[in-house]
This record gives sequence, structure tokens and C-alpha cells, in this order.
Amino acid sequence: MTMTEEFRQILDRCIDRINAGEKPEACLADYPQYADQLRPLLQAMSQTKEAYAFTPSASAKAASRQRFTAAWQKLEEKRQAKQPWFGRAFARPATWATVAAVLVVLIVTFVSIRPVLSPVLPITPTPSPDGNFVFLISDEVNAIGDFSSVTVTISKIGLQQKDSGKWLEFKPEITEVDLTQVQGDAVQEVWQGDIPEGQYKQVFIYVDDVRGVLKATGQTVEVKLPSRKLHISQPFVVTTDTVTSFTYDLTVVARGNQQYLLKPQADQSGADQNPRETKDKGNSDNRTKPTPPISHPANLPKKEN
Amino acid sequence: MSAAPGKGKTQVRRQNEARLASLYQEYYDRIARYARVHIGDRTEAEDLAGEVFLKALDSLDSYQERGVPMQAWLFRIAHNLVVDHLRKKAKLKTVPIETIPLESNGDPMKLAERNIELERVNRAMIQLTREQREVLGLRFLGGLTSREVGHILRKNDSAVREMQRAAIEKLRKLLTAEG
Repeated sequence: MTMTEEFRQILDRCIDRINAGEKPEACLADYPQYADQLRPLLQAMSQTKEAYAFTPSASAKAASRQRFTAAWQKLEEKRQAKQPWFGRAFARPATWATVAAVLVVLIVTFVSIRPVLSPVLPITPTPSPDGNFVFLISDEVNAIGDFSSVTVTISKIGLQQKDSGKWLEFKPEITEVDLTQVQGDAVQEVWQGDIPEGQYKQVFIYVDDVRGVLKATGQTVEVKLPSRKLHISQPFVVTTDTVTSFTYDLTVVARGNQQYLLKPQADQSGADQNPRETKDKGNSDNRTKPTPPISHPANLPKKEN
Repeated sequence: MSAAPGKGKTQVRRQNEARLASLYQEYYDRIARYARVHIGDRTEAEDLAGEVFLKALDSLDSYQERGVPMQAWLFRIAHNLVVDHLRKKAKLKTVPIETIPLESNGDPMKLAERNIELERVNRAMIQLTREQREVLGLRFLGGLTSREVGHILRKNDSAVREMQRAAIEKLRKLLTAEG
């Protein structure tokens, strides 16, 4: 660094120090080698600062400040006006407090009326190979002979308890059943698991799709449904120490002109049916093939683990 | 304050507005003193200081810190307003002494001495180049650092220090000559 550049830097530092409130003498004392050069310059600086120093009038400053604050407020109002109503509402702490209070009230209300609502809030039992309840699908023979296959896709099964009115809902483990494979006494097990013991009064299945392939032509025809939710009223009892097998019987009936309808067969359904054959639901290749008939009374002793 | 990614533009804007408002108390005075060096009239200098803050509020979206503190940015606005003001009044080169108002309160003797001193310094100041007056105004009356002055004048620190030294040297000579 040249002497000149060093001097400029020292002068610069001294100006900063004087601006910060120090006396010129303090700076001169720190740089005695440059004191003679610095002194007249710092003196000129002090004279200039002093000459131009003035305190702006308080009233002018206050009026100016007021104009600034008004402009600032106007800007904020403009911004608020541009925001959607919910943005403006939620910008206020009071809105958040109201929302929080409403939420608390809703939660408290829900908790307190939950027992009243419970019949409409379904219970979801979990499947288990050793469960006390087995749900089976079968086909009562009507027009099924016209088909090489009738595949029914079931998305949900529901059971209603008699006393409490509560619904149990569960998704079948096997969702597609070919009715041509479960004709007469043949059945397809689609779910097994534990459900609460007690009396049940209604059963429904949700059918998503039915596809029938005609034997004669190989064509796929529409098999209509009266409703996606096929419901039957068929009371049955479930206990914890027995395995209750409920067979839900479906049947395909001809409506003429190659029109077919799938409907539940209440009189052939229920837990008090005669024993029917079941298939291994774990073997997907054989799912639609009927296994040899087995004795399957409505209430069997529960399997031992 | 720079607009950090992820931060809402409005949020940054609001923070900058609050910051600008917080600078008002101190920097209004400094800007008024700085302006007075150039335009002479005290009342006009005060008006200009107020205008600086309004202008800053209007153009706050264009402010990004990037090493320039907000106070230096305010002085840049003040500098532009001073230039506009002088251009309008065709006073770019000189500030007539008679535009400097006399202080009217306090001890009459001291007041007279002060006004004589102000006239003397002002006569010396108007003989500096506009850029030299600018550097001394920003450094002495605005209280900015050389670096901040450099941002306003778009010069590096070293150039500002050299301009500053030359300006004070010349001012000293002029003041000495004034007696």
C-alpha cells in the first residue's frame, strides 16, 4: 500500500469516527505520524458539519411523518382490498380465534353425540383364517346354464346387528366370484374373520360389476342389477366359540331377448342352510373351481390354533 | 432486505415498509441536512426529506439489499431528488448565498456568528465540483460510509476515498482563503 493510499484510509477512518461521535483529537492521537496532515482536514470537516447542522422543525417533521403514515395505510388498504374475502378474514387474529372456538365446539359435540350416531358408523372387522364368521357366495340355479361364466365383482359386505342396529362392513378377501362355479350346493368363501357375537338381522353386498359370457355364442352380455347394493333380511346368530358360515345366494334369471338379471335369493341364503362345499380362498388358480363338498353346518366349533 | 426464495413477496414488502418507517425518525433529519447543502433553503430541504420517504414507500418493490443498506438507498433517492430540484430551478452549479435563511432563534450575537460561518462555508462549498459536494454531503451530513457513498455514486471504495481527500483538501484551502 502506498503512503497516499494509507493516508486516504486513515482519513476515511477518522471521518467515520467523528461521524460516530468521537472528537478529532482522539483520531489524531492514534495516528501521530499523520497528525499534521490530518488536523486541517478534520478541522475543515468539523467546520462544515457545524455550519450545516440544523434541527428540522418539529412541526414540519410531524406533518411529513403524518403524510408518510397515511400513504402507508393507504397501501395496506389497497392490498387488503385485492385479497379474496377469506384471505382478509383469516388475516385477522379474531377470525382464527373464532375458527378455533367453533372447531372445539364441533369436536366436543361430536364426542358427546357419538354414542347416538354409532349405529350409522360402521365397525370394520379384520379378516382372520380362524375367525368366527365365514361369508360364502353361492348360486341358485336358474338361467346360469346359459353361461360359460358369470363373474360378479363384490367390493363390500355389510352386516347389521339386531339389537344395537350397528353395521359391520368389510371388504371381501376374494372380490370376484364366477357364479357358474358355485351352482347349487357349491359355495365360494370370500371372507373369514372375527365379528362381535350376537344376533344379526340384515346382510348386503355391494356389486361393482357383473360380466356374463354366453355358452352358445361366446358373447359377453350385460347382466343387470336391481341395485348395486343387494340386500337381504335374514336373521342369524354369531357366537365366539363357533364358526358361523353365512351363505349369500345369488341367482341369474332370464328376462327374455337375451336379457338377464342378477338378484339375491333370500330364501336360499342364511346361516342355517344345509352344508355346502367351500374352496381354498388362498389358491387363486382354483378359486372358481368347486372343491369337493364338505360338511358345513351353520355353527361349527371354532378351529383350534 | 432481499426477497428470499420461499418468502411471500407481500411479506417481504411489509417487512421493508416497517423497516422504512423505523428509519424515519433519524434519517429524516440527516437527509434534510444533506439536502440543505445542495439546495440551500432549509424549508425546501425539509420538504425534500419528507418526499424521499414517500418516494421510497412507492418504489420499495425495487429495493433489494444486496450489500446496500436501506439508509444508503434513501440517500440515493435523496440525491436524485436534489438533482431534479436543482435542474428545475436551474441551480445545478451554484447555490446563491441569499437562499440560505438566517437562523431566527437563540442568542442574537451567536446567531449572527453562526450565520456568518454558514455563509463562509457555503461560499467554499459552492466552489467544489458537484461530485465533491455530493461526497462531502453524504459523508459529513448524511453520515454514510465510503462504501455506501460508493453504492450511490456507483464508484468503488478507493475512488470515493480519493474524491473525499481531494474535496476536503480543496475545501480547507477555500476556507483558509475565506479567512
